[in-house]
Amino acid sequence: MKTRPHKKIKFHDILTKVIIALILIVDVYPIFWLLTASIKKNSEWVEYPAYALPRGFYWQNYVEAWTRGHMATFFKNSLIDTLVSLVFIVIFSTTVGFAVVKMDWKWKSAVAKYFQIGIMVPVATALIPLYQMFLKTHLTNTYTSLIISYVAFGLSLSIFLITGYLRTMPNDIFEAAVIDGCGIYSLMWHIVVPMMKNAIVTVLVLQFFFKWNDLLFSMTFISNSELKTVQTGLLYFSDEFGSKNWGAIFASVSMSILPMLFLYIFLNKAIIEGMTSGAVKG
Amino acid sequence: MRKVLGNKQAIALFVLPAFILYTIVVIAPIVISFYYSFFSGTPGLKWEFVGMKNFLRLFGDSRFLDALIVNLRYIGFVMIGQVGLGLCMALLFRFWLKRFKNLIRTLMFFPVVLPTVAVGQLFAKIYEIQPNYGLLNSLLANIGLRHLVHAWIGEVDTALGSLIVMDIWAAIGFHAVILYGAILDISDDVIEAAAIDGAGSFQLFRHILAPLLRPMIITCLIFSFSGTVKMFESAKALTGGGPGNATKSLSMYMYDVAFNYNKVGYGSVIALFIFLMCIAGSTVIGLFDRKEDL
Amino acid sequence: MKKRALATLMSTVMVVSLIAGCGDSTSGSASSATSTSSQTSSGSDFSGEDPKLTKHMKISTIWAEDNDNGVLINKIAQDYKDNVNPNFTWEYEYIPSADLTTKITTLAGADDLPDMFAYESGKPIVELINAGKIVDIGAELKRIGSSDYVTPSATSLLQTLSGTNTIYDLPLGLNIEGFWYNKALFQQAGISAPPATMDEFEEDLKKLQDAGIQPLVAGGASGETWGSTRVVNAVTVRTLGNDAMKKAAEGQAKYTDQGYVDAAQKVADWAAAGYFGEGINTVTMNAAGQMLMNGQAAIFYNGSWFAGNLNSEDNAAGPDGIGYFNVPVVDASKSGATDYSMNCGNILCLDKTKYDDGTAWFLKYFVEHIGDVAMETEGTVKGYTYKTQASEMSGYTKLVLDEIGKATGAFTWYEATMGAEVSKTAQENVQLLLTGDMNGQQYMESIQEAFDMAD
Repeated sequence: MKTRPHKKIKFHDILTKVIIALILIVDVYPIFWLLTASIKKNSEWVEYPAYALPRGFYWQNYVEAWTRGHMATFFKNSLIDTLVSLVFIVIFSTTVGFAVVKMDWKWKSAVAKYFQIGIMVPVATALIPLYQMFLKTHLTNTYTSLIISYVAFGLSLSIFLITGYLRTMPNDIFEAAVIDGCGIYSLMWHIVVPMMKNAIVTVLVLQFFFKWNDLLFSMTFISNSELKTVQTGLLYFSDEFGSKNWGAIFASVSMSILPMLFLYIFLNKAIIEGMTSGAVKG
Repeated sequence: MRKVLGNKQAIALFVLPAFILYTIVVIAPIVISFYYSFFSGTPGLKWEFVGMKNFLRLFGDSRFLDALIVNLRYIGFVMIGQVGLGLCMALLFRFWLKRFKNLIRTLMFFPVVLPTVAVGQLFAKIYEIQPNYGLLNSLLANIGLRHLVHAWIGEVDTALGSLIVMDIWAAIGFHAVILYGAILDISDDVIEAAAIDGAGSFQLFRHILAPLLRPMIITCLIFSFSGTVKMFESAKALTGGGPGNATKSLSMYMYDVAFNYNKVGYGSVIALFIFLMCIAGSTVIGLFDRKEDL
Repeated sequence: MKKRALATLMSTVMVVSLIAGCGDSTSGSASSATSTSSQTSSGSDFSGEDPKLTKHMKISTIWAEDNDNGVLINKIAQDYKDNVNPNFTWEYEYIPSADLTTKITTLAGADDLPDMFAYESGKPIVELINAGKIVDIGAELKRIGSSDYVTPSATSLLQTLSGTNTIYDLPLGLNIEGFWYNKALFQQAGISAPPATMDEFEEDLKKLQDAGIQPLVAGGASGETWGSTRVVNAVTVRTLGNDAMKKAAEGQAKYTDQGYVDAAQKVADWAAAGYFGEGINTVTMNAAGQMLMNGQAAIFYNGSWFAGNLNSEDNAAGPDGIGYFNVPVVDASKSGATDYSMNCGNILCLDKTKYDDGTAWFLKYFVEHIGDVAMETEGTVKGYTYKTQASEMSGYTKLVLDEIGKATGAFTWYEATMGAEVSKTAQENVQLLLTGDMNGQQYMESIQEAFDMAD
């Protein structure tokens, strides 16, 4: 059995290569095209086909995107909104999750169910009343409006994931810690959080993508261009540059994806591990 | 023990802030939407009680029906595409690829991390036809398929399909990685035992893998469903709902009605409808879960 | 001096003609809100020196600070602060034009409108007037003694658009619309002069196509389809008369009446004949303009503001390569060659609850100076009197001014009389008209349905 027929190996090899090539083309080529297109001069679009490689490096596109396109501002806003929301989501979901699964109180399963309802509430359903609420409280055009919505709408799924993970953890550890004289808060911080690292990473990754991608909330609650996020900013990009300026549009889009790509390349092991072995198994 | 884990103060501190926030921002709006749905106009501007009129309007509104149909088609195709192809990819990793496994997995996850609007802008340029051909059309024109050159997102027949392709592209990696994780959890012994028993690939999948993977596939379906039922971001970015309203979803129609037409009440009725659709969909998917447990 | 004379001439001609053309105010809808200024006027005298009141204004518009009217408004605010009232402060907010009506109506509902904001004339402003949300600027200008600074032509156009006998808004332009054409391409197709009648126009379209040239282009991409409905409007008005759309909006006619259907069908036929080229539904206004200048398309419908793009150095057709002709005539007794599609562009409104003497003094400064500032910095006419001369007027700017001078009557754009819902339906479904997924009949039916559902 050790030596398989030569022919089969070769066939398998070729097929593997074809598949790899296909995946590469479908998944990576559009992104590659985007990045190379972002350094093309506008005239190149007229003179050569769209798939042609750039004739040189025209960095001016990036300068335009960064300054005229306000990408710097959009980035700052997206980061503030997303990161602050993530902090709260993680804090709330771990504390609620722990209270609901491991602590002793009367209403815990009812509360757990109550939080689960939110998984089924689409953002669109809450949009109109929320907008009215924020208008009345003068919270439109603030970071607060977005952060509040992001956190609240991130809770249900996060708590669901965390509770699923916590249920698989044996109680002995907590009991041992308590017997050792550990108070509830230090138990939370020193035992529970480190043990749930994987689940927390999963929550962070999922919620990061959800929040970073939000468009509905941000385009409804924010009209001030100083507070726009990358998503809303990009949506109105062609207004700013005019559709003929492909270079600047591509540069802006590239700019919005580059940090994500770097972050991903940097963290991809943790992310994929979190996704595969983590708590998604709810 | 009981004392520590039953610490009332700690429980309140752990649960209450999230509880209050969640109640106000997620749950209360459903109730408020219900209340709004009996009014016409915008609060503060021509706001009048109209009884059931908004609910009745739903049935005679052809634009609502169009949006519903678009939305359902989108949900169906995107879910099948995302989860089906994701599963194929995952199986490919496990059983076919010997080398470069990690590299490819990493690359395949790429599109997942991209902002939706950026993907929309990218695909708008890929599908573009005027003033210059975009990537797809220029490729087609130059390999002798001139007759296939289309205004992909400008024609009713192809716009929704183009959108669906884009959304599948963007999320395959996500589902593939989750499902791959689940496949890895199936021990090699089980698979080898089946192989020794002479099970073919299909039988192996049908009798061994499919049942074991079912919970994870259902999780994926739920993720995919909750992502597609709200259909907004990607359509807004790629087609803006056009041409006509060929790609306009319920959420987009609701947005128009509530914020452009100033019919907050009627918009709320549509919002409630989306909510019900969400519950119905999740219930149906959940049924699969239970049925097989029997 | 010549230009001042032109402006004056134009004004007088237009006051008479516009009112005759569009008919006086109707609906009477706005009457409820006409008593405005009483609560704000404390009998202060506006003839003397500015009392330097402390005032903070929020100004929201659809122009970025470094763009178009944004430059102008900010410059005037800055001048006012520097030269007149150091206690004046303002914050400037940019709202994407696609979101404008949405944002403003919701803010109006919450009683939280900005002090001064850009808005759309026609139906949208009528709704604000009826809700009593905005200042009767006509009355205020009279009170502060600055009425003469807004030209009579702009005033009468604004009055017609809001159906009132006073103005509730400040103009930010005086535009005509029509067809811009690429002279070289016309020559190439053997067309010697731009068409004057619809029949000639259709012959020319054919000639252009036979010469291998894309004859027409218009804004057709989602969100910018107003460029296409304008073409439908042009045909409709020329066949049915200047007030055709208004009649339908007021119920005197139906959108599904034969004339409206035929007009829409004509545009659908042009599209079916391939006159609009490939993928018209993905062409933005900007791309369309670019195609005209690059010689990729021969005729493009747009307003006089397009002269700004034509003046730019990017214009591949050069300073004399593009010409203009008014919408060709079908029946001169209904709508003649000197009737133009005219508008005041986006306009500025003032919130009623935040309006006080501080605003009034700024308003006074604004209307008294914007004419000059616009002429000095951009060489454009905004609908106000001006004393200075633009240093150098380009051929395209002059062309526009000359055309405006010829106007004896006016009609408005397709959606001017439509509510948001009808207007959006018209703009969305025109894409289907252009792809042939709807015919003229179905298109007009969809508009009528939206109209019937609207309230």
